[in-house]
Amino acid sequence: MNFDEIEEQDGIRFSWNAWPSSRIEATKAVVPIACLYTPLKEREDFVQSPICYEPVMCKAPCRAILNPFCQIDVRGKLWICPFCLQRNAFPPHYKDISNTNLPAELLPKYTTIEYNLNRFANIPPIFLYVVDTCLDDDDLKALKDALVVSLSLLPPYAWVGLITYGTMTQVHELGFADCPKSFVFRGTKEYAAKQVQEMLGLAGSAVRPGQQANRPGQPPQMSGAANRFLLPVKDCEFVLTSILENLQRDPWPVANDKRAQRCTGVAMSVAVGLLETTFPNTGARVMLFSGGPATEGPGMVVSNELREPIRSHHDIEKETAKYYKKAVKFYDALAKRAATNGHTIDIFAGCLDQIGLLEMKSMVNSTGGVMILSDSFTTAIFKQSFQRVFQKDSQGHLQMGFNATLDVQTTRELKVCGLIGGAVSANKKSTYVGETEIGIGNTSAWKMCSLTPKTTNGIYFEVVNQPTVQYQPGSRGLIQFVTHYQHSSGQFRLRVTTVARNFAEGQSPEIANSFDQETSAVLMSRIAVFKGEIDDGPDVLRWLDRMLIRLCQRFADYRKDDPHSFRLSENFSIYPQFMFHLRRSQFLQVFNNSPDETAFYRHVLNRENVDNSLIMIQPTLTSYGFDTPPQPVLLDSVSIKPDVILLLDTFFHLLIFHGETIAQWREAGYQDQEGYENFKQLLETPVLDAQDLLMDRFPVPRYIVCDQGGSQARFLLSKLNPSTTHASSSPYGAPQGAAIFTDDVSLQVFMEHLKKLSVAGTS
Amino acid sequence: MPQAISLSGARPNIADLMAPQPPVRVPPNTSLTDSPFANCDPSYKCSTLNAIPATEQLLKKSRLPFALVLAPYRTVGEGENPVPVVSDSVIARCRRCRTYINPYITFVEGGQRWKCNMCFLLNDVPAAFDYDAVNQQPVDRWKRAELNYGCVEFVAPTEYMVRPPQAPSYVFVIDVSHSAIQSGMLATAARTILDSLDRIPNKENRTRVAIVTVDSSLHFYNLTTSTGEAEMLVVADIDDVFIPHPGTLLANLTENMDTIRSLLERLPDMFKETVNVSNALGSALQAAYKLVCNQGGKIICLQSTLPNSGVGALKLREDVKLLGTPKESTLLNAASPFYKSFAVDCSRSQVACDMLIFGGQYSDVATLSCLPHYTGGQTYYYPGFNAARTEDAFKFAHEFSELLAEEIGLEAVIRIRASRGLRMNAFHGNFFIRSTDLLALPNVPRNQSYCVEVAIEDDLKTPTVCFQTALLHTTCHGERRIRVVTLCVPVTTSISEIYANANQKAIADYFANKGVERALSSKLDDARDAIVNKTIDIFGVYKSHVLGSGPGSTPQLTGPSNLNLLPLLALCLIKHDGLRQSSQIPTDLRANAMNLLRTMPLQLLLPYLYPNLYALHTMPPEAGEISENGVVFPPVLNLTVENLEPHGCYLLENGQNIYLWVGRGVVPQLCVDLFDVKSYDGLRGGKITMPVLDTPINKKVNLLIGKIREMRRGNYYPTLYLIKEDGDPYLRLWFLSHLVEDRTDNIMSYQQFLQHIKDRVSFFGTYLDKSN
Ligand SMILES: [Zn+2]
Ligand SMILES: [Zn+2]
Repeated sequence: MNFDEIEEQDGIRFSWNAWPSSRIEATKAVVPIACLYTPLKEREDFVQSPICYEPVMCKAPCRAILNPFCQIDVRGKLWICPFCLQRNAFPPHYKDISNTNLPAELLPKYTTIEYNLNRFANIPPIFLYVVDTCLDDDDLKALKDALVVSLSLLPPYAWVGLITYGTMTQVHELGFADCPKSFVFRGTKEYAAKQVQEMLGLAGSAVRPGQQANRPGQPPQMSGAANRFLLPVKDCEFVLTSILENLQRDPWPVANDKRAQRCTGVAMSVAVGLLETTFPNTGARVMLFSGGPATEGPGMVVSNELREPIRSHHDIEKETAKYYKKAVKFYDALAKRAATNGHTIDIFAGCLDQIGLLEMKSMVNSTGGVMILSDSFTTAIFKQSFQRVFQKDSQGHLQMGFNATLDVQTTRELKVCGLIGGAVSANKKSTYVGETEIGIGNTSAWKMCSLTPKTTNGIYFEVVNQPTVQYQPGSRGLIQFVTHYQHSSGQFRLRVTTVARNFAEGQSPEIANSFDQETSAVLMSRIAVFKGEIDDGPDVLRWLDRMLIRLCQRFADYRKDDPHSFRLSENFSIYPQFMFHLRRSQFLQVFNNSPDETAFYRHVLNRENVDNSLIMIQPTLTSYGFDTPPQPVLLDSVSIKPDVILLLDTFFHLLIFHGETIAQWREAGYQDQEGYENFKQLLETPVLDAQDLLMDRFPVPRYIVCDQGGSQARFLLSKLNPSTTHASSSPYGAPQGAAIFTDDVSLQVFMEHLKKLSVAGTS
Repeated sequence: MPQAISLSGARPNIADLMAPQPPVRVPPNTSLTDSPFANCDPSYKCSTLNAIPATEQLLKKSRLPFALVLAPYRTVGEGENPVPVVSDSVIARCRRCRTYINPYITFVEGGQRWKCNMCFLLNDVPAAFDYDAVNQQPVDRWKRAELNYGCVEFVAPTEYMVRPPQAPSYVFVIDVSHSAIQSGMLATAARTILDSLDRIPNKENRTRVAIVTVDSSLHFYNLTTSTGEAEMLVVADIDDVFIPHPGTLLANLTENMDTIRSLLERLPDMFKETVNVSNALGSALQAAYKLVCNQGGKIICLQSTLPNSGVGALKLREDVKLLGTPKESTLLNAASPFYKSFAVDCSRSQVACDMLIFGGQYSDVATLSCLPHYTGGQTYYYPGFNAARTEDAFKFAHEFSELLAEEIGLEAVIRIRASRGLRMNAFHGNFFIRSTDLLALPNVPRNQSYCVEVAIEDDLKTPTVCFQTALLHTTCHGERRIRVVTLCVPVTTSISEIYANANQKAIADYFANKGVERALSSKLDDARDAIVNKTIDIFGVYKSHVLGSGPGSTPQLTGPSNLNLLPLLALCLIKHDGLRQSSQIPTDLRANAMNLLRTMPLQLLLPYLYPNLYALHTMPPEAGEISENGVVFPPVLNLTVENLEPHGCYLLENGQNIYLWVGRGVVPQLCVDLFDVKSYDGLRGGKITMPVLDTPINKKVNLLIGKIREMRRGNYYPTLYLIKEDGDPYLRLWFLSHLVEDRTDNIMSYQQFLQHIKDRVSFFGTYLDKSN
């Protein structure tokens, strides 16, 4: 079974590709039946030969969509729905159907298909910029430049709006020709949605006295906001550019011992209020550009007194973070409102310190937005990541889907447990909903305000068959994923993926052989992180350990109580390593990071596919030496050698590490001397490779070049397996690699423990 | 001693209305020098009594009111003497009563000390009076202005400042609701401000300006942007007003002239599509206040719609059923406490408010005028304003521009001191009484009048007494100054003397103020009764105690010649829009008339009470021409319909409006020559602009109208109305209501009124004897 090919065709990878036939057996398999699904995975054939008709659907209430797994009767012009087993007549225009003349949706290559529906959104996508003006001049200038450039990246038909904020929030009226005009909101006050609408004059305009409201025969006027605060780029580019170019720093004075007064909360509530009144259920993005923490009003995360530090993980754990709970509650409510209306929220942070991303994260996570953490708006990380948001496909359309719903339907042996990813529940309590809840559960449909071709969700299932039900050889389960979304062109589209997998008896080797350890590691990571958001860190680690031990007990070969006999088959062999690195990763070990960083890392993990997620869990390390071609090496301190260059990719960081000797030679300038061309080349190769990796990664990673012994090298050391720590004495005298100052256990010690516990057979 | 004359049966001698006020006869050598200006000109300050009773009993017995009428900051016209300025910062004041040295003190001990004329304390004479230390030479103290002039101004040193003189600051609060656009108010206002930017006092280039426009939201304008283009900041949170930008909304006029100009040019366009019928004046005022409260200044409100949202919202409360009833007074009092309490806050922060009210409908002038009332501001009312009528636009533009150009005083206080035994008892006018006798005026307008009642607390033992008004203010050019107005009046023990020196014009001013006060605190009926009864009292006392006649009927009503017009002025008052018994006077009009009665200086008040009527068709040749003494007016006619010939053409003016009355028998040639219209039938009544024609009569009439419009102090620009004898009945009745000597609106004619007074006076003695 080729996981990559399946992923190529359906954008999906399962933890298990053969499924235990009963609930009990499935539970014993430890890792749940689950998949990582990329609904809008790029398929060039969908662009080349688009399917421009409506799907054929099963009768209500099933409404499953015709797919290659359906039994068809070409003579009777009938098809049998595999989900509900009902017979359906083909629609009249399918009368010419035959075994040699089948519609696309019945062909095997269309297990995933995209229908271009004949419906269009009233308004193409809307982009509402929410811009912090409490920035120093360089930062503000860089941000303004980036925003002006972004206008040229937007399709001309897209709509834009601008809100700026500092001590107060200003909503700029773009359709006002006579002078720059903005509506100002106090930064310290919580405005109810209705107040925002009234104050912006959106709540039904007054009728002119002595004149009828509408001229007969003319359509009612568009909502006032449509031509005041939000306008097509092509109509307001000049005005908006001029407003942006003339944007000044927040004019209110800031004392030396104070932080700037920053009313991020009010700005966001006004933005959400503006969109929810004017364009509910229309694809829209609120893009927040924040240069620091909210220091006033609702959603403040720290006071404006500089002597008061912004909260840390410790403060939150000890419940001494004064504003934390209130702020979270405030932003959660905004997140809910935005998600309900299909509006996405993105956060771009340009700040050396924290901006309160932790408190605000639900706004992004619930709406499928993006988070970018950068030290400043002058950095390449910000500028390039921001530009990449506007990447276009070969047709020139933004690579974004809006206001999507993902519906999952299963055959009756299976039920849905939940989804982990950038979505909210659509509260569809269908018969496909299972008892167990994993992630966002209790529903078989989710709303995703925004999707890109890379957005990947973890979806979890359970087997509900009781063992009493006789196993039918050759039986299979089906899952259909139906994604309805607004394409950035404004057209509505329907992406349908139908997958089928065999059921197998509990002890059948077919099950173990179908294990996809990479996908499983990622799916388990998502669960662990999801738990980590709610539970204590140590509890999550204990849970992960328990699950790993149970998986090994179930699938490893060993003799009871003999650790040396412990063997894992190839498709399980590196799973424990993933778990080892996951335990040590920033996703679960939060105390080395700020709360904002934790929120950011977890966010990214929850949106990436298997390959990218694995890099995050277990970074890759490539070694470049004189004698050998570049090669992956163990993520271990033994890989550090004086005469090699290492390239570390953690997904978030790309780090080039020059060994001691290499660094000395480079300092001495050998690379510029004749006869040292190979050294020059050695220096250049990892740089070129890093550039390749930087190319299409989102967010753009931090790029670090450092030397052995240099201060930046700590990034590398923190990721390495501490096989040689300051505490371990080398059995052969001189150490092989560099010593890492850490108290963590090494992978070797971890594996020893795992073997011992697995073979003990107590559980 | 003036003669006792009989008033009955004859027309009032209205020429006396124009006559100068009778001089105060101070005994010789009372003042230090023989300067003819030792006593202040009555236009700055005059007393109802130019001979003051020596005792309180005598004052009571005389029944005459004792009050001062002041206009201390009045404008000085061309050809008038300017107020002399003492600029050497030597300000000699009495150590005890703080009186400023003045022409009525005396030098003692060889001129080493001076004796205060108020409290008689001996004070040292400052050395600088005799020796100029800077130029090291002796000087002649007798030339000092403060010893020669009853009205003088001192440049004040820093001791007279709480803070450095503040720059004039103007905040325009402009209604931009639907009616303000429809009526053309916004366009005219913006144009007028634009055209008047160079007239706003700004010699020091320190003047600051802010503009706030208001409908259901407040719109602020950042006038100091990097682009030079004004930026509009809208605050819709009218229940919780805040300033959306720090500092720069109140912008330096000179530095930001171009931005301000271009904003004013575009302002009307910005709102031309509005459908907003709301106005949140109260919130806008709070915002304007926040803009200027640190330095003080002037808020100028241009109000078209009744404020109907936010704080201080008002209701259409006028109820025609209440007009003419005792409950009418409730409509003339403020409907909301907001405006007065806001005004008091303003006063404390040296902020004044002017209200320009444009009413298409009920505007609640009574409530809105509270703001000017307590802050030293001014109220202007333009009922039915429509800028499409050039007359309306022109009048407003003219008055508004004059208002902007007015060289107001800032951060002012007025205190009135008087000789021992006298006390200032009650104050009338636009100001706030800060402590018992300190009048606070954030702005002191040029031509407002104040009336102060005086009480006698102790017997007056000196031959004369003095009143000294000190107006401490900052000029709009940044100088702290004290204007000192000193009035010296003889004291008498003779009731005849008192009567012989009573000032009927000042008494009329006092009546006007008391009448308005009474109407507001009680009922309009009571106000009128009080005026009539006081007049009866005066003539009664004159009869019984001056003439010594016994009680009983007399064939004539007799009074001293100096009070010959008092019955007429009393009658004018009770027939005036402000006080008349009527169920037809809209509350706004009445409230406005009351404001005018309260604040007009005598020069404006007298024609406002008794308008001037001229015949145009029978003008003598010199009338309407310019002579050595200026424009010659035709003889004034008494205000009675008997003076109107059917073929005549008349001009009547009261300083607020000018009416051209055309009899239906007018000869067509006059219509052609005067109006460029073939005949009477071609004339259209209503507001008009006189054509300019090359005919003698047209030139004369245009000259007269032009002169009327500029000859008095104040910013008013009278509107010209054409009234046809058989034209629009409303206009016709309106004109005729000015003919106060006739029986109008069921109110007594002048002769009936005299008869009424006479009848009551006949029984006066009996009543008096009983009461005493
Ligand atoms: Zn079905
Ligand atoms: Zn004294």
